[in-house]
Amino acid sequence: MTSPLDLTRVLEEEGYLIDKEAATTLFLALALEKPCLIEGPAGVGKTQLALALARVEKRKLIRLQCYEGLDLSKALYDWNYAKQLLRLQLSKTEDWDQIKVDLFSEEFLLSRPLLESILSQEPVLLLIDELDKSDEEFESFLLELLAEFQVTIPEIGTISSKTKPVVILTSNNSRDFSDALRRRCIHIYLTYPSLEREISILSTQAPELSNRLAKDVCEFVARVRKLPLQKLPSVSETIDFARALQSLHQTELNYGELMGTLSVLLKYPKDIAKLEERLRKWESEAAQRR
Amino acid sequence: MDGWNFVRLVHALRQVSLSISSQDIFDVQTCLSRFPELSEKQIIKSVFIHRPQDTEIFETVWRILLENPESSTPNYAEDETNNSVLEENQDSSGIGGQGIGRGSGGVSLTTRGNVLDFSHITKLVPFSRLEELTSRGLEFEDVVKTILAEMDYYTWINSFDLAFQRGELSEETWYKHQDTRASLVREIQQRVITAQVSDENSWEPLVRQHWLIKSLSTLTEKEKELVKSSIRKWARKLAVRPGTRWKNSHRGTIDISQIVRQSVQWDGLLFHLNYRKKIPRASELVVLCDVSNSMAAFVEFLIYLVTCLRARFRKIRVFFFIDSVWDVSEFVCDDDLSRAKQEIKSSGDKVTSGFSDYGTVFQELAENKLNDVSSRATLLILGDGKNNYRPAQKEYLAQIAAKVRNVFWLNPLELEEWNERDNMMKEYQNYCSKVYRCRSASDLQRIVQDVF
Repeated sequence: MTSPLDLTRVLEEEGYLIDKEAATTLFLALALEKPCLIEGPAGVGKTQLALALARVEKRKLIRLQCYEGLDLSKALYDWNYAKQLLRLQLSKTEDWDQIKVDLFSEEFLLSRPLLESILSQEPVLLLIDELDKSDEEFESFLLELLAEFQVTIPEIGTISSKTKPVVILTSNNSRDFSDALRRRCIHIYLTYPSLEREISILSTQAPELSNRLAKDVCEFVARVRKLPLQKLPSVSETIDFARALQSLHQTELNYGELMGTLSVLLKYPKDIAKLEERLRKWESEAAQRR
Repeated sequence: MDGWNFVRLVHALRQVSLSISSQDIFDVQTCLSRFPELSEKQIIKSVFIHRPQDTEIFETVWRILLENPESSTPNYAEDETNNSVLEENQDSSGIGGQGIGRGSGGVSLTTRGNVLDFSHITKLVPFSRLEELTSRGLEFEDVVKTILAEMDYYTWINSFDLAFQRGELSEETWYKHQDTRASLVREIQQRVITAQVSDENSWEPLVRQHWLIKSLSTLTEKEKELVKSSIRKWARKLAVRPGTRWKNSHRGTIDISQIVRQSVQWDGLLFHLNYRKKIPRASELVVLCDVSNSMAAFVEFLIYLVTCLRARFRKIRVFFFIDSVWDVSEFVCDDDLSRAKQEIKSSGDKVTSGFSDYGTVFQELAENKLNDVSSRATLLILGDGKNNYRPAQKEYLAQIAAKVRNVFWLNPLELEEWNERDNMMKEYQNYCSKVYRCRSASDLQRIVQDVF
């Protein structure tokens, strides 16, 4: 890839539509070989972007889903204790030094996603998903990996990667990261797509929709996003909503006939009630105009 | 971009609290030389910005430094623009039927119908006028207000408010109008900042406008959102912070003392492992908010903070007061803040004078409301301490303070103002465990760390 435009094009071939600014930033992150931190509200396609990028670059995807309590032994490496015990029982040699060295060699190392991405012979894309869910201490483990693409295991030493992995971190912004982590990453903020982009996303993701319905749905969703709701509808919910209308054999969006389908779009009862109230108002407004 | 401008940009960004490492600078230079076909701004923005909330301030700095031609060419054709504006006006009379008003040197908004072309704003507000206002040493907010008033902004938005209430505008136009309104104000603010920066020849004015530092009462909607999301993050950190007391539990760290104690019954043999873990501190929180007009903006944030911290306390009670007290705990514990806000607004019915009276409030609290408060409770008072020359009656605060464990007082005024004559802060201060200035988001952050 030689330019952001190129990147946009190949991502589009994989079915991911990226806006210009994000494309430039992502392109620079790839060019600088730096990790890329993608932030934004839930459901705007942060993980999808990483998946599409892996397909485009033909890299093997290694995914680490973060959660509270995730620690070094689950993310980076662990010693295979059972195997070590077997080794001890089988060993006939009296030479302690030799056993000691053997026991802590790569053979007895269980590699978890992070180590796996470092050790891998083929090019990989490491996706660290929802980093904000992890504990703060975990962030510090990552620093060495993010800056130098290497990990240090006390018993063995430093292992650095042969093929520099592309690292993508995603976050829902429920917790702030330390400056140390942010400094090492290139930062992309994804937000809800513009109307035109959402329409084209909808038509690529759900090609069975008529143009009319796709346009109507996107306009409606854009309108809903302006309301003060607890959780705004995301892109994936827009797609679900459009599919729901399609399966109800609707060719266009009628404010009056939406009750009951709204639960596809919004996930909180309070939000639905709020929107239903608004719908009545919009309906009468639309009727007046006609 | 030449080197001088680049160094200036980096310096400016560092002044306004963006952290830019030398690695970043190196990266930018690499990119600039490797990809000359990409826009410079885009590259610099991508590499320098590490958190989403910095985008805005970057834009401002960029504008002031690199897109600021006015300061060198203050002469522009004022008459010409006025004429052209007049021509445009002929077919669009202002909504609401206001007459044509004109400020000194500027152009009135009421004459312009609903569509505003922003390329014209440059001409709408003469830069010389901005310079004149800033050189008088006015505060940022005051300058913005003056400029807006001169443009007849307030009449203009009023006419729209009225039209919307009467139902003449559809919701769509209303939203559009809101957007125009916000971008207009933002534009003016940017221009004022630009003028201030060039007037003082330093980045100080911009630093003062940073959302963490500026006063909570002057935040824009967007900045409010920012502050709230930060509050949510601070609160989350606290919610998982363990307390100091230990409790037996089926998992956690091994409780040696307990194991040894038990092993005695079996002659020192260990049969059973005991675990213990730290339990979160869950004491009672009593919040007392002054909701008189001057305080409303601060109350909103404190209440938001309290709702975020709900999980950490066994019991939270919230009282609002002006010159009498009422209990609003049930509204506040709702997730939705709008009800709490309504409660603040509707307070008008409950008061007799609208001026705060701390003495009476403390008396009522001490005698009636806080009888059943626990001795481990924390009392959080938000108020400016202005008692409007009424008796302080500090003995009641002393009574309350003796009952609870801690009393914290948050005051949105500057320290110097606490000593003014009608301010009772100095008298109440002695009974508080600690007194904080709580004016900006960064103050609030400090309080969160200290108090909770």
